[in-house]
Amino acid sequence: MLKVVGMKEFLGFGLGLRSSHFEEIIQTKPDVDWFEIISENYMVEGGKPWYYLEKIRADYPIVMHGVSMSIGSVEPLNLEYLDKLKLLAKKIEPKWISDHLCFTSVGGINSHDLLPMPYTEESLQHLTSNISQVQDYLGREMIFENVSSYLTYKESEMSEWDFLAQLTKRTSCKFLMDVNNVYVSARNHNFDPMLYLNTIPKDSIQQIHLAGHQDFGTHVIDTHDQDIPDPVWDLFREYAKQLGPVSTMIERDGNIPPLESLLNELAFAKNQVSDLWLEQGEFKHG
Amino acid sequence: MANLASIQNEFMNLLQNKPSDLEQHVAQQGQLNALERLSIYTSAYRIRLTQVIEQDHEQLGKYLGDDLFDLMVKGYLKKYPSTNNSLREFTQDLPQFLSDETPFKKHLILADIAIFERLLLRAFDAADDLILTAEQLEALEQTDWPLLVLNLHSSVQLIKFNTSAVESYQALKSGVTPPIAEVDKSRFWLIWRTPNKVTEYKTLNEEEFNLLNLIIKKQNFSTLCQSLIKSHQHDTIAAILIQYINTWLALGLLKQL
Repeated sequence: MLKVVGMKEFLGFGLGLRSSHFEEIIQTKPDVDWFEIISENYMVEGGKPWYYLEKIRADYPIVMHGVSMSIGSVEPLNLEYLDKLKLLAKKIEPKWISDHLCFTSVGGINSHDLLPMPYTEESLQHLTSNISQVQDYLGREMIFENVSSYLTYKESEMSEWDFLAQLTKRTSCKFLMDVNNVYVSARNHNFDPMLYLNTIPKDSIQQIHLAGHQDFGTHVIDTHDQDIPDPVWDLFREYAKQLGPVSTMIERDGNIPPLESLLNELAFAKNQVSDLWLEQGEFKHG
Repeated sequence: MANLASIQNEFMNLLQNKPSDLEQHVAQQGQLNALERLSIYTSAYRIRLTQVIEQDHEQLGKYLGDDLFDLMVKGYLKKYPSTNNSLREFTQDLPQFLSDETPFKKHLILADIAIFERLLLRAFDAADDLILTAEQLEALEQTDWPLLVLNLHSSVQLIKFNTSAVESYQALKSGVTPPIAEVDKSRFWLIWRTPNKVTEYKTLNEEEFNLLNLIIKKQNFSTLCQSLIKSHQHDTIAAILIQYINTWLALGLLKQL
């Protein structure tokens, strides 16, 4: 079994790379420390996305973020997908690769959604085995993101945070902690988001996502199509105090605003934590 | 208690609007009941896939109008749920669906517009082949020409329509009324991605369409010349073919030998 153990690298503050910003990024070389790409968008042979990515990756570190691994599915791992991912990583040379702790496809059908796992011993064993297989197949460490959810299965035997803590204990896997997703799930399931964040070992956090959502009062939907709202900023700052420097990025998936707007939001993110992380003497990047 | 496999299967059944007992596995929490919680997922599934069809088949959507588009989406989601990791491939069976299903199959132009929009996507994502230049061809020895096999750039797509599919696509994109669907003779179309990464299309005459198809079939220069014998004087054929090749070079249709 592959064991990948190492210091986590602090890349600074990044943005999700979106096609509507390609040209402006090349022309203006904005003050962004790194970009995260959606892996599946580049699983094509050529064309404009590749043309721009080649130019952008010459100037910025790149992280790959996938949505289709379906690591939690009871179906055998999709080796065709993993082959594509491996080839992509060889071409792009990302700092790391992430996907989601969920299932997306079952019975040959792809939901194109990040469907939640029941938090059971069976799920833990299944994920532990699959994570090990995927890392062996890819020959590298994978990072996994917490998903937002709108339901709790009656079958769940533990909380999501205890589940994740158990998972990293068993696999040594690292997490991409989406602070917005924690907030969304906390509202939808009425739990304390800081209890969630504090339970998961801090040295297992490789990256942070910040994003927005839509609040319907009775529930919150994780849309990633709005500016980051105050409650998510508050949670991020509180978490950052305890976490120390972790590579942080803004993930905007819909209603994409002009690049300038995201750069302002990214500067705000940096301001939120620079004093905290400087105090700890570890804020060396940027 | 249900196991992991059972829960996952029930979830996929629910999304596809098949009988599912997932509701029985959802805990009661807060202000939303189990059905309301599940509807968040079913709505997201339907909306996400509908958006893909809207985005990849924008002009087809305009041609159909809202009611028929909704009917098409509902039928397509049921008959062809996504089986690919990439949403780029989700509408790959849409032309077949439109050819098979009532009321769409009565109108051949619908499948043709869907095919055309799929080919635009295919050209957009095709491999970045190196383009053949006139200088590279000029460097060939005279004796190499008869057996010369040209190669088309990976983005090149050729399609023959017996409807006004592309003319209608153009009209809808420009915001004008499309022409009648029926046409008196076949239309031949070339779709490709230019060297500056822009997807283009143009009409071809039947002769040029056939020549490009021969190139796809890996036929050599002599065979291409022979295909022109019936329609041209013998001593003009090589010059005509060279003229075509110069046009293809200028458009970036040929990849390096």
